[in-house]
Amino acid sequence: MFNKVQLERFFVGSVMLAFVSLVLSIVGIKSQLFQNIQYLLLFISSVIVLLIGIQSKSINFFSNRLQKQILGWLISAICSAAIWAFAQKGIQSIFPAIMGYRKAWNTLEPFALYATVVFIMFALMLIIIGARDTKIDRPGYIERFLVYNLSSKIAAMPMIFTSIGIFIIATLWTIYHSFTNSRMLPKSDFIGLGQYERLWSSDRWYMSIENLAIYGVCSLIFSLFIGFMLAALLDQKTRFENTFRTIFLYPFALSFIVTGLVWQWILNPDYGVEKIIRSLGFDSFVFNPLYNADIVIYGILAAGLWQGTGFIMCLMLAGLRGVDQEIWKATRIDGIPMWKTYIQVVIPMMRPVFVTTLVIIAAGIIKVYDLVVAQTSGGPGISSEVPAKYVYDYMFSAQNLGQGFAASTMMLVSVLIVLIPFAYLEFGRRKYD
Amino acid sequence: MTNSQNNSSVVDPRGPKPRKIMSRRNIILYGTLLVVAIYYLIPLYVMIVTSLKGMPEIRLGNIFSPPVEVTFEPWIKAWAQACTGLNCDGLSRGFWNSVKITIPSVFVSIAIASINGYALANWRFKGANLFFTILIFGAFIPYQIMIYPLVILLRDLGIYTKLPGLILIHSIFGMPILTLLFRNYFTTIPEELFKAARVDGAKFWGIYFRVMMPMSLPIFVVAIIMQVTGIWNDFLFGVIYTKPDTYPMTVQLNNIVNSVQGVKEYNVNMAATLLTGLVPLTVYFVSGKLFVKGITAGAVKG
Amino acid sequence: MNSIEINNLSLNFGDVKVLKDLNLSVNKGEFLVLLGASGCGKSTLLNCIAGLLEINDGQIYINNQNVTWFEPSERGIGMVFQSYALYPQMSVKGNLSFSLKNAKLSKDEIEKRVKHASEILQIESLLDRKPAALSGGQRQRVAIGRALVRDVEVFLFDEPLSNLDAKLRTELRVEIKRLHQKLDNTMIYVTHDQIEAMTLADRIAIMRDGLIQQLDTPKIIYSNPVNKYVAGFIGSPGMNFLKGKILQDGKPIFKLEGGWCESPDLSNYKFQETIKVEKEVWLGIRPESVVVGGEAENMPVNFNLEIEVFEPMGADTLVWSQIGGQEFRFMVDVNTSINVGGTLTVGFDPAHASIFDLESEERL
Repeated sequence: MFNKVQLERFFVGSVMLAFVSLVLSIVGIKSQLFQNIQYLLLFISSVIVLLIGIQSKSINFFSNRLQKQILGWLISAICSAAIWAFAQKGIQSIFPAIMGYRKAWNTLEPFALYATVVFIMFALMLIIIGARDTKIDRPGYIERFLVYNLSSKIAAMPMIFTSIGIFIIATLWTIYHSFTNSRMLPKSDFIGLGQYERLWSSDRWYMSIENLAIYGVCSLIFSLFIGFMLAALLDQKTRFENTFRTIFLYPFALSFIVTGLVWQWILNPDYGVEKIIRSLGFDSFVFNPLYNADIVIYGILAAGLWQGTGFIMCLMLAGLRGVDQEIWKATRIDGIPMWKTYIQVVIPMMRPVFVTTLVIIAAGIIKVYDLVVAQTSGGPGISSEVPAKYVYDYMFSAQNLGQGFAASTMMLVSVLIVLIPFAYLEFGRRKYD
Repeated sequence: MTNSQNNSSVVDPRGPKPRKIMSRRNIILYGTLLVVAIYYLIPLYVMIVTSLKGMPEIRLGNIFSPPVEVTFEPWIKAWAQACTGLNCDGLSRGFWNSVKITIPSVFVSIAIASINGYALANWRFKGANLFFTILIFGAFIPYQIMIYPLVILLRDLGIYTKLPGLILIHSIFGMPILTLLFRNYFTTIPEELFKAARVDGAKFWGIYFRVMMPMSLPIFVVAIIMQVTGIWNDFLFGVIYTKPDTYPMTVQLNNIVNSVQGVKEYNVNMAATLLTGLVPLTVYFVSGKLFVKGITAGAVKG
Repeated sequence: MNSIEINNLSLNFGDVKVLKDLNLSVNKGEFLVLLGASGCGKSTLLNCIAGLLEINDGQIYINNQNVTWFEPSERGIGMVFQSYALYPQMSVKGNLSFSLKNAKLSKDEIEKRVKHASEILQIESLLDRKPAALSGGQRQRVAIGRALVRDVEVFLFDEPLSNLDAKLRTELRVEIKRLHQKLDNTMIYVTHDQIEAMTLADRIAIMRDGLIQQLDTPKIIYSNPVNKYVAGFIGSPGMNFLKGKILQDGKPIFKLEGGWCESPDLSNYKFQETIKVEKEVWLGIRPESVVVGGEAENMPVNFNLEIEVFEPMGADTLVWSQIGGQEFRFMVDVNTSINVGGTLTVGFDPAHASIFDLESEERL
């Protein structure tokens, strides 16, 4: 009917599909389909185990060459069975000590059950395969999947869990729920684009977007320009290079909260820069960016640049140091003036550094949150709101989860617009290298 | 130095070309650097000066003038008495919370990331690169989109608003950049060494603990520096996944300074701000070049 | 007339003296090779001539003009680098014309010079390509072309062939030699490869620790090395050095330390000074100048040797042996039948050997 390879592939495939449907049913997509299909898939998997067993006609545990691995899977099965047992009321009443983590056990219960079943199937499978494939050139699909390089796969579990379990599933979960009318608690009632309509008709959101655009463009231009200039100045065999670099970079070690609070204090009109200039005799001098709705975002920009430019300088300096010294010698022999060398030779050579830096700055800009909270709390009024703060406020203060989800989805979209061309360029370039 | 013997021979240059120290180039170069350096140092200076003044002096003078009467009162107040809401036990609580968050988070995240990086660099399996790519994408996408599902996860596990919850969060979000750092480092270790260890019979964990780890102490130090400053400076996760009892220092600092009740005590605020910045600043000044290495390693090679 | 003259040049990196009171003059149209192991200061010297490094003392004349304080671009030199140092974002044509555009030459003139250089180097078909799309050899041609278009008196080469594979290296080496014959420019060429040095040079300057050990034609350097270092550095496989004493037995003879039935008669050797009796010396014999079999019997010195190891190298076979406990190597024709443990009759002429003082290692 099916050959060996196909059956083995089907087995691994159905186990994985069962896991996917388990996850989908857990994260709140309340469809009976996923609940049932999960059991169906597990049933199919066990049928396949049976089929492979019948095909191979040999089951042998005690002289099995995969004995160690089989034992390992069985022990894992027992462990997950134990976790499943911890979630049962009867067991909990016998061991009161585990009652304290009741919530955790209850969350893990369905996974533990799934794992127990699957691990036992794995063990059975290995018993069959270990006895069947004794003299082979190339191990079968299942053996490669379950036995080969197993330590590495186990070691990579946190990464797999984080990348799939958190980054992918959490992102999809949020996107899905941005189409619902969740308020205090997430709900799964689909209401279409309602949240987005509300979002895009909100003054506060427009303000946030506008601020982010101004902040983003200015911060990109200025931090690239200043960062490169500083790096170029430090690259002239400058004396005290280390001292200067230490000074330019120390703000980067400080948090945005500290940065925001310091600059709030320096820009304070009653005590700060404005007062000093006025005390010099310019009585009508006005400089209060944090209290003027029109320019407040530039006040935040000043603080942001102070904090982050040193980092950009370091990236640029690393890039400059990567330029072949013989290129510099060649331009001196050719009699090219230094500024011309920078513009016509060095900057084009540093294109990859600029692209990477650009992406890092862009990814940082979209996350701007702490700085605004510390410096202005979004004020005066709503004039210094940013998208990240909009998301937080709707999720955790205004009890309107749906709005927060929709806004965060918009943030994701804007990042992807930057990121996808970059990834495309990166991978495109690697082909040539 | 050597020019002295032939000062008469103007037409016959010898030795190094004489250069003026105050050449136009040097004035522009060092002048610019000096002005920028002053701009960068002003906020630090203002913080220190303000935190050492009394309130009356602040009201009269300007923020740049050095303190006439040096007082450490604001520092004591910021550490032990400043109020957030109803609690008036100062920043010390936040400091100890941050310590309790940072140390385990740094340890856990580095342990996980170094092993991940090792598996990715030396024991690649089918599909590993896919997971890694997703992980790196995760470093760039805004955290806001993942915040709420994680609230649910932590709540389900019963550790929402507790320190272990925040530790888990830091371990998760520290993973992309740290894994990248370790993977890149482990790939620079000559593969022959790894092969030799395998020929000598060492297995996955044996090679990791006996060969790779002892060889990569510098990168572990770099990772520790990155994580200590990163986690200490975090605000977003702190404010979401903790409650007033377990607030880390940054969150508490913001609440103290930006609280609307009471008279604003700027000197106390600045002392509190300095206190919060002290840990990362110490790490920065002590670590020196390793800090630079840490922040550029992930970026340039990635 | 001297093309380049260097007087008492010194250069320090911090406390380290890299070049020590160095003098050198290069004739017009000469091909001079600076040869030495890495770290001997040969590239540093070239960079000083180019003006890329500021010297601590001394003077540099190019074409009888004191250029000590001149900028590199004013010195009338062109330079070719090991890493080619082509401008990666510009086409070959852009690379060739960049310096000319900067010097504000007319378009026609630029066009003419680029055309001329690309014809000489046979890179006309590559003019529109970017350096990344060129092979190593092509890149190095473009780099030479960049020096060529500037119409300079002196060419400086800084290990230009080191990044190429062996085959290309040989090809480009001939190319450079041809170029020199065609152009009559003065060329200074830095390398650590003695074959490049021997094949290209009119004169070789062998450097060590910032000093020129010997400056002479390849032939003289090979046959009459001034000291043991030069003798050992030139020639492959390296010279045999036998430790011993000079005794007087009516005529000067060499007595090997460790005992040897032979005492080579040195009366035909041209000593540069009168030798004290019992002077301790090295006797240097090139493996190529040792002959075997019937020829050996016609040599002033001949003896039997036991074969320890032999290495066939194609046309010849290198045989490793010992004389009185000291290592001795020599070449035999590949057709000579040899086997480990067997003996061979070998001979050499002491008049063509080199004798060095044991302590100072200077030629005697």
